[in-house]
Amino acid sequence: MNIKKQVAIIGGGIAGLEAASVLIKQGLSVTIFEKQNREGGMLNHWSKLFPDFASSNQILDQYKVKRNNLNVFYNTQISSIKPKDNKFEISDNCNLKFYADSVLLSTGYKVFDATLKEEYGYGLFYNVITSVDFERIHKSGELLKTASGKQPKRVAIIHCVGSRDAKVGNTYCSKVCCITGVKQAIEINKMLPDCEVFNFYMDLRLYGSKYDALYLEAQKRHKIQFIRGRLSEVSEKEDMSLQIKAEDTLQGRPLRMNVDMVILLVGMEADELNPDLCKQTNLQLDENRFFKSKNMQTSRCGSTQIGVFLSGCCICPMTVNETLDNARSAAFEVVNYLNSDAHE
Amino acid sequence: MKNDHTSKVIAEDNYYFLRSCIRQNFFPGAEKVFLDILRNKLGKTVIDDPHHTTCTGIGYHSDIVPFDTYQTTVARQFALMTELGVKNAAVSCITSYGGYNEVLETWEHFPEQETQTREFLKKATGRVFDIPENISHACDIIYKYRNEIAQLAKYKLVNKHTGTPLKVVDHIGCHYAKIFPDKGVGGAEKSTVLTAMVKAWGGESVDYPERRHCCGFGFRHYLIKNNRSYSISNSKKKFESMEPYKPDFIVTNCPGCNMFLDRWQYALAQIEGKTYSGDKNGIPVLSYEELAGLVLGYNPWDMGFQMHQVNIEPLLDKIGVVYNPDEKYLDIKGNPIGEPLFSGCLNE
Amino acid sequence: MKSLTHLLNKDVRLKEGLNACMNCGICTAICPAAEYFEYDPRTIVNAVQSHNEEMIQKLIESDTIWMCGQCMSCKTRCPRNNCPGLIINILRKISQETGAFIKSRLGRQQFLLVKTIGANILKYGYCVNPHSVIPSGHPEQGPVWEWIYENKEKVYERVGANLDKEGAGAMRKIDQEDLNDLDYIFTESGGKLLFQTIEKYSMKKAFELGFTDSKGNPDMERYIDYLQNEDDEE
Repeated sequence: MNIKKQVAIIGGGIAGLEAASVLIKQGLSVTIFEKQNREGGMLNHWSKLFPDFASSNQILDQYKVKRNNLNVFYNTQISSIKPKDNKFEISDNCNLKFYADSVLLSTGYKVFDATLKEEYGYGLFYNVITSVDFERIHKSGELLKTASGKQPKRVAIIHCVGSRDAKVGNTYCSKVCCITGVKQAIEINKMLPDCEVFNFYMDLRLYGSKYDALYLEAQKRHKIQFIRGRLSEVSEKEDMSLQIKAEDTLQGRPLRMNVDMVILLVGMEADELNPDLCKQTNLQLDENRFFKSKNMQTSRCGSTQIGVFLSGCCICPMTVNETLDNARSAAFEVVNYLNSDAHE
Repeated sequence: MKNDHTSKVIAEDNYYFLRSCIRQNFFPGAEKVFLDILRNKLGKTVIDDPHHTTCTGIGYHSDIVPFDTYQTTVARQFALMTELGVKNAAVSCITSYGGYNEVLETWEHFPEQETQTREFLKKATGRVFDIPENISHACDIIYKYRNEIAQLAKYKLVNKHTGTPLKVVDHIGCHYAKIFPDKGVGGAEKSTVLTAMVKAWGGESVDYPERRHCCGFGFRHYLIKNNRSYSISNSKKKFESMEPYKPDFIVTNCPGCNMFLDRWQYALAQIEGKTYSGDKNGIPVLSYEELAGLVLGYNPWDMGFQMHQVNIEPLLDKIGVVYNPDEKYLDIKGNPIGEPLFSGCLNE
Repeated sequence: MKSLTHLLNKDVRLKEGLNACMNCGICTAICPAAEYFEYDPRTIVNAVQSHNEEMIQKLIESDTIWMCGQCMSCKTRCPRNNCPGLIINILRKISQETGAFIKSRLGRQQFLLVKTIGANILKYGYCVNPHSVIPSGHPEQGPVWEWIYENKEKVYERVGANLDKEGAGAMRKIDQEDLNDLDYIFTESGGKLLFQTIEKYSMKKAFELGFTDSKGNPDMERYIDYLQNEDDEE
């Protein structure tokens, strides 16, 4: 390649960063547009990763090395992509325009807004928190505390909040919540060995490598209890402890329990700006509002717009390692495209 | 698909009033005061048509009335509205309100059901109907005009001795929004239809864990004497849950719940020898119409508070309502009617 | 005979009430009947969705389907937008139409409901009427109700009701023409047929239990008395 081809990456989370590093090694010029004032995206909010309790900071640190041929625009929210003369015109909110030969979307996901599940009382009851709140607490090194500053004696971790739920318009599984529930339960046990921890699940979807081992460890070493039943409601009692109701479906009996804290495993949702990016292109969204792949089986990273590629959680919920694998695949698809006749 | 609780439309005026089997039987004064507030305080037009009947909802939910018959009876009410040219229904009963919504939802998804209902009604009565433009529960209408009522109010829901707002627990009838959350003000989970009234009239709503639990009517469970322990045990669950908050009164939007929460307090006190209010009386239970009438300064005996088992007087005294206790058991001409053996929950 | 699944599917409410169940138990979790009885709406929905004829037959002959209190709390929570309470209505309908209801104690009570609520509807135009809320049958109604009942005319008049009188108002006498309308509606749309069906099978059960008069006909007074006092020990 004589003149360096330009690739625009929208989103500087780990998918965008990983793809960028591959593309640069392949001799391309890469520009990342990141809406926040730092790279790393949602991974900045996580403390330790399943299944090996790897530090998210260590992963993020790998990307902090400055690279030639990589431009990063921070605080830049891309609002449109437009095909133009075999290139793409990318505009941000302030109408700054940028031209690229290929675009890689790595816009990621947003966390389900737990206040929409009103029956769980998030935002109303002080002792109801989300899995994201828990990660922040864990990362700060502080102990988990109730609203009154005490150590909780009983914590319930609730699966499928905003996932597999037609009531909130999300019928898909967010995939990562089950194993996050197992991981966070162990972390609570390590933090507060006297605290009883219950996971309320519908199906334990522990599909990943070594996930089941973590489940076993949770049960055996950490005495975490697993109850098969979807949580129906949370109510606050006078002392601000919480009354929860579920069915223990394996016993076939309704179960009412008092706990000190509830942690809602919030699911992953497609970015709200995805529809904007579809407007002037052939990009399409799937039924879950994520970007639609060219082919579910053979071209997950291809989009429905020639020259635009997809990586990471803008395709569907993914774990960190899946995201990184997927980003490398996406980068190779971009390279292949730029080398192909289709582009020339 | 996201929660949208703002979609509920409540008609402004020109209502057709649909009475409730239970409300008019046990608390007829509440329906009376509702009509009076609308007509004489808010200047609205409400038709009180003698020709309408039950919707048969209690029969439908105890499964002796088939859905086809239910739909046709509801259609007859619509036909009466059509004949008078009234397009807005004001429904007194929560079961009916849920039922009307169920019928309309069914007709939307299965137009052949509407066609069949029209045929049944035509053949049975010769009547035809238009679907009403608006179906609101009577509590929606009071909710809509809560601020106007607040401006006209003579009393506030404030303890006159301490100056603090009264603590109010509410109970929303299950069929108000549990079947169709978008048909209820504030949705099904955290309905605001009653809390907004309480706030507008100076009181303070208190959440309690079993707020959303059914009062325990259970249709066939209360209607059959042998089954009533289901009913009372559900009410008990609610009383136990609200007890620690020491509410000044309970407000409900459902005729059945109103009656059950009043009567079961008495029955539980007789069984257990204790009340959930700490005194012998029990926690007063009011409907939203009665509550509106109370702040507007209606005579409590005109509103029928003497028909409650749990005495309302402690609440009236707390607020500082001026009333004549000696009028409680007088007939319309001012002559004594005799008195109940006792009122409240515990006699001695 | 048509299969039970066929009968279930014929009711449009099944399409409203049952999309597909993933057995999460969110309905049972807040079901007042599940807290009170040995009752699990989840397993009922699962039986219906399984199309298992034997299981459905067992259900419609059981006390189980009569335990639901119809609060419909299940509808609000189901993540698949199912309505177990509505499925119960359909099972009860089929139980009554096929006569299976007389095989269970709670099912047999439907005859009592026809004789009370059913009769009230056609007689008074409303499901409830002060004349039929007799204090001896309603001890829970307390002394105030007893006072109201004993002084009906004066109490209802005092609070602005129009008990048993012509014209509008609470507890008014419903015009004969309006009652006729209701009667024709019940005849035309199957309401009467259901009453008759419940009565027919109840007579059969009364006969089986030996409640007959001197002519050998079912003695329904004694059957009612039996139903009112039948306990759940069997």
